[in-house]
Amino acid sequence: MMFGISTRVWLLLAAGAAVLIALPLVVTSSFAIDICIRILMFSFIGVAWNLMGGYAKQLSLGHAAYFGLGAYTSTIMQINYGISPWIGMVAGGVVAMLASLPIGWLCFRLRGPYFTIATIATAQALMLIFLKFRDFAWGAEGTTIPNLGNAPLMMQFEEKAGYYYVALGLLALGLAITYQMEKSWMGYYLVAIGEDEDAAEAIGVNAPRIKRDIYLISSFLTALAGTFYTQYIYFIDPATAFSFNISIEAALVSIVGGIGTLWGPVIGTILLETTSALLQSWLGSSLGGVQLTVYSLILMAVILWRPTGLMGIMTEWYQRLFRRRSVQT
Amino acid sequence: MEDALVIQKMSKRFGGLRAVQDVSFSVKKGETVALIGPNGAGKTTSFNLITGFHRPDSGSIRALGREIVGLRPHDVCAQGLARTFQVAKPFGAMTVQANVMTGAFLRNKSVDVAREKASEVIEFVGLSAKEQTPARDLTTIDQRRLEMARALATQPQILLLDEVMAGLNPSEIDQAVALIGKLSERGLTIVIVEHVMRAIMAVARHIVVLDHGQKIAEGNPREIVENPEVVRAYLGSAHVATPGETGA
Repeated sequence: MMFGISTRVWLLLAAGAAVLIALPLVVTSSFAIDICIRILMFSFIGVAWNLMGGYAKQLSLGHAAYFGLGAYTSTIMQINYGISPWIGMVAGGVVAMLASLPIGWLCFRLRGPYFTIATIATAQALMLIFLKFRDFAWGAEGTTIPNLGNAPLMMQFEEKAGYYYVALGLLALGLAITYQMEKSWMGYYLVAIGEDEDAAEAIGVNAPRIKRDIYLISSFLTALAGTFYTQYIYFIDPATAFSFNISIEAALVSIVGGIGTLWGPVIGTILLETTSALLQSWLGSSLGGVQLTVYSLILMAVILWRPTGLMGIMTEWYQRLFRRRSVQT
Repeated sequence: MEDALVIQKMSKRFGGLRAVQDVSFSVKKGETVALIGPNGAGKTTSFNLITGFHRPDSGSIRALGREIVGLRPHDVCAQGLARTFQVAKPFGAMTVQANVMTGAFLRNKSVDVAREKASEVIEFVGLSAKEQTPARDLTTIDQRRLEMARALATQPQILLLDEVMAGLNPSEIDQAVALIGKLSERGLTIVIVEHVMRAIMAVARHIVVLDHGQKIAEGNPREIVENPEVVRAYLGSAHVATPGETGA
């Protein structure tokens, strides 16, 4: 027993980690590795979103704000001052945290759909700011990241495997934070706020403070993904960095996978990203929009039949298989 | 004996409606006081004012020697006042145990300590058999038990119970009355809002009667039953159905 995890689970985790670490050595197709990197990155964004949107049910559709701030902070530091994106990544996280304070202060006054709309507005407003101010952020045309060849200290790799490991590390960090939180008083408080804020307040939960704190953590993590993505695609502009799609994707993978669960966002991303990437490569050019249609169909199916997401289905199967065992423990 | 809760000239308006007007009463330590009155008399509003969910327009509320007007609900709870809601608000997705643990975290952030505290109060309210049941699957009386257990887990000195007997059948009411008696024996100060007269007479030594936001009477159960003002405003309405008495 370590951190309250049984030996069997440790072995499973170790085996899983070994497979994931060995994967780029076996898979050489650049297309496949690209899909893997996207899965890892969007899983990570989903995990970051899930902390607040899943556990505390504060449905933000504005996480692109933090993705973009992370991306821009590290890029500005790198291009204007030659500072490594590794440092820029953390700096971006801090900028995102600072930004989440006033944004949260404004948005958390609203509940339910009004909160969601307010978060969309803040992300869009930030995008407009970066579009307007050409002096410090290259305006609408954006900029490319100077290609330094193989420079791991500047988060640039010749082989895609390098990016794969960075994304894997980020996801592991996000999952570890979620796991720790889920097992502590914080996890209980978040779920309580998500279930009934008044009832939570009545038993001593300082709901505004807890929501602020989890928003800080969630924004920080989302910003890390922003830096990573910019380094990965060597390009930044407001439309990519603050893309509404990032906000949607963060929420979607969690909802499809199962909100408020540790592995939900990961499972959701695997399903959605794989489907979308495969459909795009098979049909993308011949039938425009098919990929989006299938995407929406999956989403509708989940919301209609399994509001608890894929994790809900899997837990059910697991319990059916091991019913006798789970009764005993 | 010392006063646990002293309310002086507490008032609250909602637009043109005077929900609570200059209400004053006090509760001694260890005493059980009932707050009664027809619908819309201002009982639940009084609870919301005391527990910080609404801020009184004027007046003072002192709990355990400290002014609590202006504190947010979680601060009021930390001061040692816990409440239940008229409509039970369980955290449906959580188990009974997790619900109660959430309350216990107020005094100690350790999961193990909270689990122990939770199992103690869950046993006290008689829910041990359903410790691992999701709260949304509980029956009405069990939801009320859960509300009480969750409030008790915060280790309050004053417990405010808002219509915990509504919707219960006669035998369940007896169980609830017994439970409140047990709480009182433990030394808890209890303020209870209730419609079930049989239950009030059984648990409360002292009764405060509200009508249209004002206190119209106060005294022991016998005095209250014989008070003509009360009979007219409240008890009378049960026998002579006066349309004007409902609503507001």
